[in-house]
Amino acid sequence: MNSPKTTVLSSRVLHHFYRDSVALMAIASATEKREGVIRVGAVMATPANRGILADSDMLPPDLNAESDDLVFVVRAESEDTATEALDAAEAGLTAVETSGAIEDQRPGTVDEGIHAALAGDRESPANLAAISIAGTYAPIVAERAIRNGLHILCFSDNVAVEDEVRLKKLAVAGGVLFMGPDCGTAIIDGIPLGFANVVKQGKVGMVAASGTGAQEVSRLLDLAGVGVSQLIGVGGRDLSADVGGIMTGFALDLLERDEGSEAIVVVSKPPSTDVATALISRLEGIASHGKPVVACFLGMDDADPDSVTPGVVVRGTLEGGAIATARLAGHELAVTDLDPIEPVPGRVLGLFTGGTLASEAKIILKRAGVDCEILDLGDDQYTAGRPHPMIDPEARADKIIEAGADSSVGIILLDVVLGHGASRDPATPVAEAVMVARSEAESVGRRLEFVASVCGTAADPQGIERQRTILRDAGVILAATNASAVRFVAAQQAGTHAS
Amino acid sequence: MTILEPVARIINVGLPLIVEGVPAADVIQLDWRPPAFGEADVARLALILDDDVTAEANARAITAVHSVRPQLTRVRPAKEVIPGIADGRTLLHAGPPIEWERMCGPMRGALIGATLFEGWAETPDQAEALLDRGEITVDPCHHHGAVGPMAGVLAPSMPVFVATDPSDGRLAFASLNEGLGKVLRFGAFDDEVITRLSWMRDVLGPILDRALEAFGPIDITSLIGQALSMGDEGHNRNVAATSLLTRRLAPTIAAMEPSSDAIAVLEFLAGNDHFALNVSMASAKLSMDAAVGMENSTLVTAMARNGVEFGLRVAGSGAEWFTTTVGPADGLFFPGYGPDDANPDLGDSAITETLGLGGFAMAASPAITQFVGGNPDDAIAATKSMRRITLGPHPAFPLPPINFAGTPSGIDVLKVLDTGVLPLINTGIAHKLAGVGQIGAGIVTAPPEVFLQAARSLANRRGIS
Repeated sequence: MNSPKTTVLSSRVLHHFYRDSVALMAIASATEKREGVIRVGAVMATPANRGILADSDMLPPDLNAESDDLVFVVRAESEDTATEALDAAEAGLTAVETSGAIEDQRPGTVDEGIHAALAGDRESPANLAAISIAGTYAPIVAERAIRNGLHILCFSDNVAVEDEVRLKKLAVAGGVLFMGPDCGTAIIDGIPLGFANVVKQGKVGMVAASGTGAQEVSRLLDLAGVGVSQLIGVGGRDLSADVGGIMTGFALDLLERDEGSEAIVVVSKPPSTDVATALISRLEGIASHGKPVVACFLGMDDADPDSVTPGVVVRGTLEGGAIATARLAGHELAVTDLDPIEPVPGRVLGLFTGGTLASEAKIILKRAGVDCEILDLGDDQYTAGRPHPMIDPEARADKIIEAGADSSVGIILLDVVLGHGASRDPATPVAEAVMVARSEAESVGRRLEFVASVCGTAADPQGIERQRTILRDAGVILAATNASAVRFVAAQQAGTHAS
Repeated sequence: MTILEPVARIINVGLPLIVEGVPAADVIQLDWRPPAFGEADVARLALILDDDVTAEANARAITAVHSVRPQLTRVRPAKEVIPGIADGRTLLHAGPPIEWERMCGPMRGALIGATLFEGWAETPDQAEALLDRGEITVDPCHHHGAVGPMAGVLAPSMPVFVATDPSDGRLAFASLNEGLGKVLRFGAFDDEVITRLSWMRDVLGPILDRALEAFGPIDITSLIGQALSMGDEGHNRNVAATSLLTRRLAPTIAAMEPSSDAIAVLEFLAGNDHFALNVSMASAKLSMDAAVGMENSTLVTAMARNGVEFGLRVAGSGAEWFTTTVGPADGLFFPGYGPDDANPDLGDSAITETLGLGGFAMAASPAITQFVGGNPDDAIAATKSMRRITLGPHPAFPLPPINFAGTPSGIDVLKVLDTGVLPLINTGIAHKLAGVGQIGAGIVTAPPEVFLQAARSLANRRGIS
């Protein structure tokens, strides 16, 4: 506390002026931060406080102040600095109070959220929790919500399979849905959750173990004039042997009882063998009670009720699943394939943002015997800390530009996913990258073609026609469905081989 | 079929874009943070603990606490009333247990002072030698139904406030506040200090006791309740409660002989704005003790600091202390002092926050709102944030600025873990050197670690792993 010899000590007394010591300490602390100020005291000049000032060598020798006087003391590097500091301290006494409205704290926990739902203007209980936090904590939050009778949409991934099984059993016991983990798409009572297209409400109940698969089927049904009653996501692992289709079974129970669901479609990768047997017989049961069922199991062979599977239509592509479901609902989905163009030399590269759309492409190209490289850019290995490419399309744009410089590539297959959750304008970064890549290819005399489908509906917030125009203007060839785009590419490749 | 009845109301935990297609009015967006301060294993234990058994135990515990109406009945020498210190040489101190060797400066100074005051040693060196050799037993106040601010040192001859639960005769005790400046609780032990302590023993204590006997017991709950409506928060601001207490007893004291003593006592009360703090503390201790040992309850029954460690006790884990190293308070300092001079947080006075006073009742005390940001709105926000971690409002402590709702009372370990909100504690800041005294005041939050320990222990007691 020793002060250098060169400092000055200045004081100011406000007679018969009271402020609480806490207010004075705050003023002293603020004033002390001023340039050139070493120490500030702001006290009522009681004997005790004068003692404190004296102890720290801050008591002006000529101080003329009594207990009910307020005194400011400043030790500073110069007289001017000290005076300015005293002015500032005094101004602090009368500073206009900054006072804002008291903001009520936002709820921070599930329990508080439940309370807030009841306390708010709506006064209606919470009934679903959407969870997209780190997978470590998602089961803890989900369990709290399930205990409180809430349905769950769990977008979080990296949830242990034991937790998934436990939570799904808990949910079924409580009569609520556990959609997830890693569930990106659901439409409940017409309300889109996660990544979902704006589709008509209608009479097809959907159970989906995949996100973009559900989006493609639901938007194609919409295109055919068929609406969706419920789209219940179950998470990609539900039909694995470990989970055993717990939530698929629960969702089917709901939809079977639902009078608003006149047909049911289940969208998934092929279930594990053990689960498949039980699931197919469950689906047959539903069909035999008069509610038609489509099993859209990606990569499985198509089958119709009168042959292999009694009562259940099996389709191995999303497009096929949508067509079959539309037909059961009394509508035809006519997909017109594109006319072939002059064959393009070079290999096929798929740069997908939708995982299931990528899978569908692989399946169709494999069946057609076409060599290809299909990348799911939403996979962890590509996202690595970046947002999913459906949210942030720039990552894919970089890949498109890279491919422009790869002389082995002839056709690039793309998906553009619209709807809630997705980027507001996914087409533009694609279009810009396409132009860069093409001019790069053309500069070395190479032909590079781009083929895409837009997974969207007329009602999606992005505006599907605008998105299609942006792509078309960049020279992207647009097909009606992902499957159609893939068939087009397959046909080109067949052509190249033929020539 | 509608799944979301009667209308969709969606709690969103995480990314807003997940519910971007949902009408905003139907979404309750959480301001979520990882539970249990990011310790996922403890978060799981806490979730399992949060069941009907705990809820029922907590309901019983908080009802028991809120039912206590402590009466200030006597001021007696500690050795007469406090169990376990009448024989031999025992001194009590603040906070969780700590050995003499590890104690901070102010606590060592206070123990030396108390040794001199008891006449067990002639000089400070002799006193220190006795303590070094372990010839004086040191034990936490909390182990004897007592509490003391700062060093919290209680010696057998010191007068103590006796708070009585009229329903069952339980007692709790607190030292008498010496005032500011050179005082024992900050570790000072010179002649001035010992002289004052002797006067408190010989004059102040007996006069207050006689006054109470003549006047009758004082209902501390109503005293504090009234003080809360006069700008006190029951911990760092006690001027209203002190004035009320003095006003009640003054006519009785004024009539006492010799009048020079009576006048000295009244002058002492008039000059010590914090005199009623220790009454508030004894009352809070008596209230919280009503829940000690309440099986399966996750209610916090004590928070206390010994200048090295912060200690927490929970109803369902009885006498067990959960402790962790504590740092100095970040606060406002008296002229001439700064954070480098500050002793780590110290004292049993956080028993007031344990009941819902002090930092929890900031809304009541516009005069000291600088501690929480500067204006009364911030103080109200501080009180409201404590609502998130407490079991319920204290029915006898309504706070005018929040429409006379009761102060948030009864910290629930599980709520602390779920919300990540830590108890706010108003505190004085002691100089780290013995005897310098108070150098500031401010706010501290209880450390997260003790709540994690508590959850593990409570889970263990219930066989949850």
